[in-house]
This record gives sequence, structure tokens and C-alpha cells, in this order.
Amino acid sequence: MGELLQLIVSGTAAGAIYALAALGFTLLWQASGTINFAQGEFVMVPAFIMLFCMSAGAPLWLAFLATCVIAMLLLGVLFKRIVVDPLIRHGVIPLVIASLGLSIGLKQLMRAGYSAQAFPFPSPFPSGHFAIAGAAISYADVGTLLFAAIIVLGLQAFLERTVTGRAMQAVAQNTDAARVLGIDVRRMVLYTFLINAVLAVVAALLVTPAYLAKFDMGDSIGPKAFFAAIIGGFNQTRGALLGGVLIGVLENVVGFYVSPAYKEGVALILFLVVILVRPEGLLGKAEERKV
Amino acid sequence: MAIDEARGAQPMIVFENVVAGYSPSLTILNGTTFDARAGEITLLIGPNGAGKSTVLKTLFGILTPRSGEIRFESRRINARTPRELLADGIAFVPQGRNLFGSLSVRHNLELGGITLPRADLAARIDEVLARFPRIRERIDNQASTLSGGEQKQLEIGRALLLRPRVLLIDEPSIGLSPKLVQDVMTLLRALADAGTTVLMVEQNVRTALKYANRALVLEMGRLALDRPAAELLDDADLNRLFLGGHVKAPAA
Repeated sequence: MGELLQLIVSGTAAGAIYALAALGFTLLWQASGTINFAQGEFVMVPAFIMLFCMSAGAPLWLAFLATCVIAMLLLGVLFKRIVVDPLIRHGVIPLVIASLGLSIGLKQLMRAGYSAQAFPFPSPFPSGHFAIAGAAISYADVGTLLFAAIIVLGLQAFLERTVTGRAMQAVAQNTDAARVLGIDVRRMVLYTFLINAVLAVVAALLVTPAYLAKFDMGDSIGPKAFFAAIIGGFNQTRGALLGGVLIGVLENVVGFYVSPAYKEGVALILFLVVILVRPEGLLGKAEERKV
Repeated sequence: MAIDEARGAQPMIVFENVVAGYSPSLTILNGTTFDARAGEITLLIGPNGAGKSTVLKTLFGILTPRSGEIRFESRRINARTPRELLADGIAFVPQGRNLFGSLSVRHNLELGGITLPRADLAARIDEVLARFPRIRERIDNQASTLSGGEQKQLEIGRALLLRPRVLLIDEPSIGLSPKLVQDVMTLLRALADAGTTVLMVEQNVRTALKYANRALVLEMGRLALDRPAAELLDDADLNRLFLGGHVKAPAA
């Protein structure tokens, strides 16, 4: 029992990180029809920017805040202006291909331009464990869960309780109707890209202490974020959270009770089952496209 | 009961030789020329593809005219955005469902007033709710739970938040029962009588003509006929005009 509790808590913590990346994925799709297959690299790049800031003497919290600003510029504004805006009018497929290219490009740029080595990354949480119901729960897992929960709840509160958040939802649900009311659609879509960039930085802060900072660290988190978004329902932000947590917990359970060799295949199998049985995702709605 | 043509009403909206469409190879408006006068309901009718909805979209800045001129109170408004036109006093209720289903009725109204100063918004929402008591009762419900008629009322109410001087409305009767259609038409008539210029596209021609002042028949993106609504209502050829076919010259 203690074992299972431990697996569930650490799996939920890992799943919360996938969920953050998946949430960004879903928001971009809902607001602008963008599918970003470079989402994994959008987590890798901030990890290295934070390392760079820390090597310049900044403490972790300051490196995190500085990276949020830099990421909003690089992965938010520039990504939208240079990649998305010119291609989006030609449909989804050119953008999918471009984001796949961007994924390869960012990875290889980091490997060739900086280093192919894995770099240790400090955890924002204290090390050690505490015991509860026979399970050894790590402070890092609890910290990760709490941090991710604060970010998700904060984002939900912003989307539901502010006029700007509701205008973003309006753009996501019916862009033409939003434009007719005078909502600044371009600005709302830009905000979505900025939020995605910040979510990627948070995911980087939480995942890199375990994954280490490496040029190919996005190879694992990117597809899992995509699978999580599809499993939960691509048109529901809550779906991304559910999908992420499901993957994290099942990976842990399968890795422990079946074999660690199958752990990496869990997300893919779950993804295949869901699209065969319920293509709109667990929480998705067939008739709606967006937030 | 048809509405007599108001004499001496001033043109609020003028279309002059407007050419517009959805792409360079898909031209819908081929030199469209007409005007819509203050305090009148001007009804645009014609067969499918004649350009009725395109007129509204071009006027509201969703499509850009390739040539010709659109004027609002004698000012050229060709290149203005929907946001600028809303500020000028022109509001648009497009065809189909235009609510944000997961948001509440109140939040849908609030977004209708997003271009207003925050201080004015609450009073404007109250003003609209006074006109639509059924919407007031459901103010905290999700918009997607409203009936078709309530949704259309909410869409119109949302447009009225800005107290528009010109209201563009596309197919308001779609999906509504005959009783609700009459309610919507009565509301539009009341708005026009209070001074609002209403430019309406409507397939339910016979009902709409009873409430309109003028009817403009479009064919192939051009004005084919401009007659008082009452006259057209009595025209034995009304069905042919609506369904398409060559339009006869109006009787002298």
C-alpha cells in the first residue's frame, strides 16, 4: 500500500510537469490553431537559459524570473512573428512541418553550438523524504505538485475571472464573433503564446533537476505533452491536466510492477487506446474546437 | 401592416460602386451601389450568392473593398477595422451562433461592451437587461444553455450595449419560431423608430417586409431593385425576385 501511494505521488508530480507542457500545447491550439511539435525544445531552451543565468551568478529564483522574460520574447513573440504568423494562413500542415523543423533545429543548435553533455540542475526544493502511511514521499515531489498546482490554478483564475482571460476564451471559442465585438484578437493570441512560454519555463524548472539539462531532453517531454493533450481532449484545458497526470502515474505503476523497460511506452499505448475508443479525448467535446 | 417609406430621411450609409469578395478570383460585389437611411429598416434580399451577407461584412470591415467607396455620415470608412467602426457607432450581429457558449450570459454581455469605458459597462448592461427580461432571469447561466430565441436576443442585446446608430443584422430569424421572429422584428422596428439605422439581410422575406421601410434586391452583386417595402410586399412576383431570375424595372 505504501509502495503504491509512493508511486502515485511521484507519478502525479511527474504528470504535473507533462500537464504544464500539455496545457501550453492545448492553449496554442485553441487560440490560434497552432500545433507546436517543438514544445519539448521549448522546455529544453529555458533550462539552458536558467543555467546560463546561474553561471553568471544569479540565484535560481532570479534565473527563473529572468528566463520567463527571455522566453516570452524568444518562444512567445519571436516564435509567433517569425514562424506562426507567416504560415498559419496556409493551414495546419505547413505549421506542423515548420515546428518539427524547429524542434530539430533547436536541438542540433544546442548540441553543436553549446554542448552535447548533460548538465546537473539544482532543484528548487529541499532534498529528503518524509514518511506517510508507510510511503516515503520526497519533498521534491510535493514541491513540484504544489508549484504546478499554483501555476494551473493561477492560470485558471486568470482565464475565468478577468476580462482579458474571458476575452482570450472568447477568441478561442469563436474568433469571428470575438472580432465582431471589437476584441483585439491579435493581442489575445499573443497573450496565449506568452503564457505558453512561461508554462515551458516552469516545466523546465521542475523537470530539469531529474532529467538533467541536455540538448535532447525535449525528446521525451515533447511527445508526452502531445499525448497528454490528446488523451485528455485537445479542446479542453482540464483535459491536458488529466492526460498529463494519467501518463505520469501509469508510467510509474507500469515501471514498478511490470518492467521499467515498458515505462516509456505507456504514454503511446494510452494515446492509441484513447484515440481508438474515444477520439475526442477523455474530457473532450466532439463539437467544439477550443478553450 | 407594412411601414410607409419615411420621407426625407438622410442617408447614413452609402455604398458607391463597391467591388469586394473573398479572394481576387472570387468577386461577390460587382459595383454595388445603394444607401441606407437614418431611422429606417433597409432590407437586403436576393437569391443565394447575390452578395447580401457580403455587403454587411464589407461594411463592417471584415472584407476590404477592392474599389468603390463606403461612406458613413458622409465620411469614407473603406479601410476601417471592426473595432474602429464599433467606436463610430456601427454594430454587427452576424448570421448563426455568435455566443461564447461556456461563458455566462453576463460575461457574454460584458464582452459586448469590451470597447466601452469600464465605468459605463454596468449601467449599459442594466439598460439592455431592462429590454430583455428573459435574459435577465438567466444572467448567471451558461450561454450554451439558452434556447435559440434567447440566444438571438442575447446576441442583439450584446450589440445594443454600444447604443449603435447603425445596426447590421444578418438572418436574425434563422432557427426561431414564428412568434420569436415577430418579437425580433418588432424589436428592430422599435430600434429604427427610435432613430437607429437598421440594415438587415433576411430570407424570411414576407415577414421582414412587413417591418421594413425599403427593400433592396441584389442580383450577382449589383443592386437590381430599390423599392418601398410596402410596394414589394404587394408584388405578385415577390417569390421570383427572392429566388432569383431577371428583375423587371419598377413600375412608374
